Amino acid sequence: MNRFLRWLGIAVLVFIAAPLVIVIPMSFSEARSLQFPPPGYWLGYYTAYFTDPNWLRPTWNSILIASATTVLTMALVVPATFALVRHRFRGKGIADLMMLMPLAVPHIVMAVGYYSYFGSFGIVHTHLGVILAHSCLSVPIAFLVLSANLKGFDRTLERAALSLGASPTKTFIHVTLPILRPGLIISALFAFVQSFDETVVAIFISGRGAETLPRKMFDSIRQEADPVIAVISTLLFLAVILGVTAPLLISRIRSRRTRIAAT
Amino acid sequence: MSSYLQLSGISKVYGQFTALEGVDLDIGKGEFVTFLGPSGSGKTTTLMIIAGFESATSGTVEVAGKSLFGLAPHERNIGIVFQNYGLFPHKTAAQNVYFPLQMRGMKKTAGLRKAEEMLDLVGLEGFGHRYPKELSGGQQQRVALARALVFEPSLLLLDEPLGALDKNLREQMQIEIKRIQRALGVTTIFVTHDQSEAMSMSDRIVVFEKGRVQQVATPLEIYHEPETKFVAGFIGESNLIEAKVTDAEKGEASNAALGAIEYAPTGKTSTGKDVTLMIRPEHIRLSRKPVDGRKNVTMKVETIVNYGDNALVIGKVGDLPMRVRVLGADVVIIQEDEECFISWTRENVYLIAK
Repeated sequence: MNRFLRWLGIAVLVFIAAPLVIVIPMSFSEARSLQFPPPGYWLGYYTAYFTDPNWLRPTWNSILIASATTVLTMALVVPATFALVRHRFRGKGIADLMMLMPLAVPHIVMAVGYYSYFGSFGIVHTHLGVILAHSCLSVPIAFLVLSANLKGFDRTLERAALSLGASPTKTFIHVTLPILRPGLIISALFAFVQSFDETVVAIFISGRGAETLPRKMFDSIRQEADPVIAVISTLLFLAVILGVTAPLLISRIRSRRTRIAAT
Repeated sequence: MSSYLQLSGISKVYGQFTALEGVDLDIGKGEFVTFLGPSGSGKTTTLMIIAGFESATSGTVEVAGKSLFGLAPHERNIGIVFQNYGLFPHKTAAQNVYFPLQMRGMKKTAGLRKAEEMLDLVGLEGFGHRYPKELSGGQQQRVALARALVFEPSLLLLDEPLGALDKNLREQMQIEIKRIQRALGVTTIFVTHDQSEAMSMSDRIVVFEKGRVQQVATPLEIYHEPETKFVAGFIGESNLIEAKVTDAEKGEASNAALGAIEYAPTGKTSTGKDVTLMIRPEHIRLSRKPVDGRKNVTMKVETIVNYGDNALVIGKVGDLPMRVRVLGADVVIIQEDEECFISWTRENVYLIAK
């Protein structure tokens, strides 16, 4: 029974990981369209990705839009989280609900809404339009992450700082902010990834002018199944693995260093 | 003693609930004063009003003749050690101690040097580079103390700082805190609900109950001459006996179970009044036979709680429960369910008017 459960566990892992792993060999494939297993291997599609402006432009668009979305999201979420976590006021329940609404509403519904609403301002098919739409989707995620961190924050630390002569502003800069830094970074990272990854809204409103990478990949797979898609997937996969492991590695090296310094 | 910290008519009302009612207090410079009381008695509220984290509904707080009214906590120059220490986890011990100096514009090299000196004083030489999580509870406590003292505050407030420590460490820190406080001569208010802590550390104790100050006195006065029944019951153990004064001039009262009881006469009461008499358990002597020159009664022993060096004998005189504390060696003369004599003198009986 135990052995059966172990094999079942492994099978589930393989099932989940397979689509992630399968794109890696395909990215080195010689085939003219997506095909598995690949008939032969070369690096041609990597060269194609890094030299073709039709791929590079959406890449830059995505980076730009995700960065701007992150900045806007955090500018809204940080004060909102402090207000909603630390203060009681009339309508707080409704405010809480509204913050989380975009998580519950299907993206396709939001997309249709943005398409017609932003159309009346003339910002469909612009960077600004996509940034605004993506920010709406990123806010609840960033808010959830940050509010969990803020709820766990020991407010005695702020009282201690005040008693030691730090003004409320200095207390925020020297105590609150540094202690919340990991939460802020993770929150911003989620906002960035959410925007970078978002496809449905991008298909509706990004147009040719602000075409994002996921949208371009979607168009490409419909028209020609260009193996460059596998290249991009592999690169993104690599970026994610780096993003997840780098902080772990850094903290491990740091703690080893302080342990050496302490002895 | 000239007054350094002065609280006048401090009250605090939360809606329907009165947390503090007319607290008046004068504390001299360099004094070590303990606020003692059960939780919810108003001692921490009073501390937070002095620190500026709470505002009083009415009344004034003055330090060295200057009112603290309208000053924010960071403008008050008061050092506080919190119950869970409140050390900044992202700063080393030395950086924590340097923080108040940094806020006062002191340069980093000079400030860190002063922080290290302060850490030496609290017995943490060479621990400056450690982060709080790399320190034990007692060490964290010392860092918090150093941090609250390094900027030469006008007052030091300690909010149940020893609550999180185990018993041995707690006793050690009591001695340490006293030593450091004496060395620096800083006026200190210590909040606790632990009466032995209050007894061993304080110059004076302020006993709080239900938002009121019950008594302000030295530990020995509090112990031997409690002004209210609450103080008598809260500090140390006591036998509290309801009695009626039969002769206020001579100092005589009577109780149904004990009969006539003589007490040291005070001018506080008059004949015919209902009063409470207090006899401390360690002032009662336990014996097989009655002892001459003492008031003797028979007690039926119910329980003996042995502590090794001493024992608590709990029994009944008639239907009145009595507690007697005897030295460990003396307890062998008696066993549970036996009868024995307990005795005391007039001087052992203390009358509480209220």
